[in-house]
Amino acid sequence: MTWPASPAWLLELEATFGQMLRTPLSRSTLTLRAETNAYPEALLAQAKPSRGVDPAERLAVYNRQYWFRLFTLLQGAFPLTAQLVGFWRFNELASDFLVARPPRSWDIDRVGDGFADFLSTALPEADLELAPPRSSLPRAALLEAVRIDTAYRDVFGAPAVTPFTPALDDAARLLSGTLRLSPAVALLTESWPLCELRRRVVGHALDESLRLGSRLEAPRSWLLGRDGLKLGLAALEPREAQLIELLTRHTVGTALTHLEADCSEAERQRLPEQVQTWLARSVRLGIWVGLEVES
Amino acid sequence: MRSAHYRELFESWPALDYLEIISENFLGHAAPPRHHLDRVKERYPLVLHGVGLNILGPEPPDPSYLDRVAWLADYVNAPFVSDHLCWTGAHGHSHHDLLPTPYVPELVELVAERAAYVQRHLGRPFGLENLSSYVEFEQSTLSEWEFYAGVVERAGCHFMLDVNNIYVSSQNHGFSPAEYLEAIDFSRVLQVHIAGHAREPNGTIVDTHDQPVSDAVWQLYRSAMGRAPRPTLLEWDDRIPPLTEVLAELAKAKEYAT
Repeated sequence: MTWPASPAWLLELEATFGQMLRTPLSRSTLTLRAETNAYPEALLAQAKPSRGVDPAERLAVYNRQYWFRLFTLLQGAFPLTAQLVGFWRFNELASDFLVARPPRSWDIDRVGDGFADFLSTALPEADLELAPPRSSLPRAALLEAVRIDTAYRDVFGAPAVTPFTPALDDAARLLSGTLRLSPAVALLTESWPLCELRRRVVGHALDESLRLGSRLEAPRSWLLGRDGLKLGLAALEPREAQLIELLTRHTVGTALTHLEADCSEAERQRLPEQVQTWLARSVRLGIWVGLEVES
Repeated sequence: MRSAHYRELFESWPALDYLEIISENFLGHAAPPRHHLDRVKERYPLVLHGVGLNILGPEPPDPSYLDRVAWLADYVNAPFVSDHLCWTGAHGHSHHDLLPTPYVPELVELVAERAAYVQRHLGRPFGLENLSSYVEFEQSTLSEWEFYAGVVERAGCHFMLDVNNIYVSSQNHGFSPAEYLEAIDFSRVLQVHIAGHAREPNGTIVDTHDQPVSDAVWQLYRSAMGRAPRPTLLEWDDRIPPLTEVLAELAKAKEYAT
């Protein structure tokens, strides 16, 4: 038994219907309105008027549903970003993203994949102008916010994993091995107090008075992890964060060499003891899932 | 089963005959959904309802998708699996909506063969749900119920009959919901869905699942249950009220079914 092919006329109908669905909603009247005059003529000719409602209006139900479903989904997946820019501006960013990268997977949770990368390339190199009562938002803060939202989404959706617990004989191969970071963990760096803002806004209605706050004197790093079903943040010292980031890209030995090279003489004095502490803490927090050694 | 109700569900474990899960919510490898599923499947029988099969789409389903649905059905020991008589994407795009086609004999044959394929792949009864639709096509030569009943009969699969959807489409397109019910062979109905809908300013009724079941749908449900009582599922997917309110609405089904 096989999967029979669709007739050509159905393929054509579904192509024009899809084109209609993806027609962006107009923002010109400060509401999101279906642009029915942009629908494909071939589709309009096939849709029947019904009960006094013309075909374009009926098709517009699907057009609006397509966009509002995806806007709502992305607002939920990127709550910090949506709150910072407001839903009106967020929907505009989401619309640009979805036009460029329309959903391709049956898994609706994949719709937001690539949103952070899209914004980092699509947004002009300028502050983001926002609708009143908001003013503007630094581009870097927006990109940081969307990366933090992405990390929360990815960590929450990660599979169950068994944390790596080093055995005695791992000690001999530790320096030449590469630690594998758990998918249920993310390293976050912020230049504004975004993690705290996110904690305040998640699950709440849009807060028009929400403000970004002042830029931090120095970037701050956090470890985002999942413990059971709960997500939690652990504050990291700057060199500790750097070590973890290096460990995700290098063998332990190479990571330590890079870290030492970046340290001042005073820091180097304390580094051996601190590295021991940081590594022990990372294992205790369960952020690694394995040690890979090239044979 | 909606995540908005997890807390109340896990605190009170209300007496329910069964729960329905959206298959796609549990096909991935994420740990939290699996954790919740494991808790629930110990307490209630579960049936699977999909939204991603795309049985009228141009491309065959990803084999890994069907394999995962079959795995999930085994995992929760689902007595049956259902999805929709519609298309949800085409030409590489996924629209995440339940979309209509013209109703013509050529497609009856096509979908019936596909539905039979799915049922065989899943190794358990497979039900197709009728749509709420907002547009009809000039090309149609069959009524919706002729199309639906024809597919189920030829495929040897089953009806997953949504009474609210019959009502919504009947109001949008001007047909008799009673005539629709007449065409259904109730011995092949696996399950009945009921839900709330909303009316747009231009009169179009939209299947929103965001409010109580309307009186008109309850009356149609009574008529359906008069033909043969079937397991009933209340869908409430948006503006979800507390579980107690949903259960109170569901309790009405028992009154209308008798």
